[in-house]
Amino acid sequence: MAVPLPFDGLKVADFSWVLVGPTTAKYLADHGATVVRVEAAAPLDILRTAGPFKDGVPGADRTQFFGEFNTSKLGISLDLKNPAGLEIAKKLISWADVVIESFRPGIVDSLGIGYEAAREINPSIVMASTCLMGQTGAAAAFSGYGFHAASIAGFYETTGWPDLAPDGPWVAYTDGVSPRILAATIMAALDHRRRTGQGQYIDAAQLEMSLHYLSPQIMDYSTSGRSVTRNGNRSQYFAPQGAYPCAGDDQWCTIAVETAEQWEGLQRSMGSPAWAQDAKFGSMEGRLENHDAIDQHIGEWTKDQEPAALMQLLLSHGVPAGVVQRSSDLKSDPQLAHRNYFRHLEHQEMGTIPYAGHQFRIKGYDSGPRFPAPVLGQHNEQVLREVLGMTDDEITEAIIAEAIQ
Amino acid sequence: MLSPYTVLDLTGGHGDLASMLLGDMGATVIKVEPPGGAAGRGEPPFIDGAPESERSLSFFAFNRNKQGITLDLETEAGQNAMKGLVEKADFLFESGQPATLDSLGLGFDVLKEINPKIIHVAISAYGQDGPYADYAASDLTIAAMGGPMSLQGVPERAPVRISVPQVWLHAGSEAATAALIAHALMLRTGEAQSVDVSAQTAMISTMLQGISAHAIQGRDYQRAGSLLQLGQANLPVVFDCSDGYIVLIPSGPTLVVIVPWFVEDGVVPESWLGDEEWPTYHVRLLQGQPVSHSAEEVLTAITKYVANYTKQHLLERGLREGVALAPVNDMRDLSGFQQLQERDYWLPAPLPNGTEARAPGLVARLSETPMSVRSWAPALGEHNSQVLNALLGMSDEEINLATGGKAG
Repeated sequence: MAVPLPFDGLKVADFSWVLVGPTTAKYLADHGATVVRVEAAAPLDILRTAGPFKDGVPGADRTQFFGEFNTSKLGISLDLKNPAGLEIAKKLISWADVVIESFRPGIVDSLGIGYEAAREINPSIVMASTCLMGQTGAAAAFSGYGFHAASIAGFYETTGWPDLAPDGPWVAYTDGVSPRILAATIMAALDHRRRTGQGQYIDAAQLEMSLHYLSPQIMDYSTSGRSVTRNGNRSQYFAPQGAYPCAGDDQWCTIAVETAEQWEGLQRSMGSPAWAQDAKFGSMEGRLENHDAIDQHIGEWTKDQEPAALMQLLLSHGVPAGVVQRSSDLKSDPQLAHRNYFRHLEHQEMGTIPYAGHQFRIKGYDSGPRFPAPVLGQHNEQVLREVLGMTDDEITEAIIAEAIQ
Repeated sequence: MLSPYTVLDLTGGHGDLASMLLGDMGATVIKVEPPGGAAGRGEPPFIDGAPESERSLSFFAFNRNKQGITLDLETEAGQNAMKGLVEKADFLFESGQPATLDSLGLGFDVLKEINPKIIHVAISAYGQDGPYADYAASDLTIAAMGGPMSLQGVPERAPVRISVPQVWLHAGSEAATAALIAHALMLRTGEAQSVDVSAQTAMISTMLQGISAHAIQGRDYQRAGSLLQLGQANLPVVFDCSDGYIVLIPSGPTLVVIVPWFVEDGVVPESWLGDEEWPTYHVRLLQGQPVSHSAEEVLTAITKYVANYTKQHLLERGLREGVALAPVNDMRDLSGFQQLQERDYWLPAPLPNGTEARAPGLVARLSETPMSVRSWAPALGEHNSQVLNALLGMSDEEINLATGGKAG
């Protein structure tokens, strides 16, 4: 008998957009829930307007930015500003166990599908609202992206070089932090509902979730006044540590020496050069103080070496090391292949393409995305007919009313 | 919300956040440390900058809502006590080198014999098996092998990580989610589950649109400082204001609000108000369609304008007029960010040295089963007697033997 899926039978109405809500819903979808992702044809989810586009050709159904985070979902294109569209949204809420939304605070209430209304329709609903700043407070309406929340949290201040303007994380960083925490919260709320029958409302501010990733530094500031800032790849506590140049075009290998044993291992890897015997490098304090000099020596040693071979050499001496891998490197990473990480699925418009798998495996259970992300409106009819049980006449009416886009 | 459940946390500085999240959600969490203390107690930063036991703010930050016990798992007495706890528990998190628990006779096969419904979650750098399973690793090297580093930093210098360690936090929150997924699976199958969380893949997921870029578009994205790389255009998002930096994304919905500010200050001529459809400006720019003011012109206008104002002024005007202008906050700026005060986010955290720190609050607000912080990080062995006596009925003598002599 096939292994059952963890969330088989669970029903989710995903009204969210961009990254946090959809990625949260993806956790439920990939593991068995029936998730209906509700989209608007205008304005499009911004993820559908940005790359990477298949073969570099732009198109709403050609971007894996959208695709990566919407696997295993049924997609419908619904106009919530249209009264007939809103009726369909209410049917979805009535059908669902979980509703997720990420509009600006107040929007779902003004549409008549806020938590109070949703609970009237479906008393045991678990409804999660997520936005940058939370549903309350003067800045609730601050409507931006994970870039903004990352900047306010402190992730820009702490990414880059001390002598340059902040680089910031390349991505909308808090969008990579929040979904896991929100998904766990929803799963816990569902377990509570399973045991008690009680649903509830969840207000999850992406800033508030993400600040835990700076928690020790926040506590440190509050007691000592020390404010952490960007420091390249260095640590205040350990040295040497950095990304060192290797042979080839823009190739780098990271090395991190956190203990005396690892410092000895690094020296052995380098063939015990004379410079490293200098007494000033003998202690952690000395290495922290003379980090520039050490980096210069290490860089001289690494610059003509092939990065993967260098990494193996360092690892064989017990020194933490890792090549700076790009998207192209991940495709051939043997550890990822061992974990069957990338899953190739046939997308309606893009053909067979890789989707990132999950960040964990469960023994005896294969936990990849189940099917590819929908093209815009791919499952309109299926959702109305099979999920919501609407008749042909009702569906025709919805189409004539332009509720379905 | 998770009050019926008991969680055993054997993690040592790699993944403490996992059980903390479940603890905040109501679970009873027991932190099990070796007699000498978990490795996490040696993680910086430290209270007063002093690297001593009970001084790690990192340990303090991620071990609230946990009872602390010590067990010497090298001894039979310690292993027996551990087995007794496993019988009473629902979840077990660990972050040892792969196969460490097996070598102590506490591998998954043994755990599920003792407790046929246990959820075992192992957190490691690359996974429990495979060619990289035994690789030495650190925050920096995993950030590199996971990919996000390749995207960060200016092109003239080396790629950079986020300077504050992030890897084990991603792995930890992923482990919390994975544990609840495995728990849902256990409810279906009736069987214990073993979960293998890889920090490398947790980092890959934070690359977002960069993950599959090469397979999709035939090329990698290249690091470009703070440039936002979308479609046909690369847009800077960090701008110098009079007292620091702000993050501003020059998209249509933002420009429609701030172009009139430029006109107000004479940074651009009044004609800008009427000669461009600002709300859709970025869409056309990204698709390489015609626009009446080039990206360079727009960026020059933004640069000139924001240089005259403080980040607080820009944040506040943005808030009033509905546009996101985000200050690049340091810890001091963050502590003054009003929204968090208004939402009563911060929690006072009494530190072991008698002072009080300000700690991040609850990750979400729930209407029926609010999360809570019921206790702060335990001292080493603080709850030895309480837990081992109350839960397992162990005598003082037995406790002494199992805990390596720290009755607590």
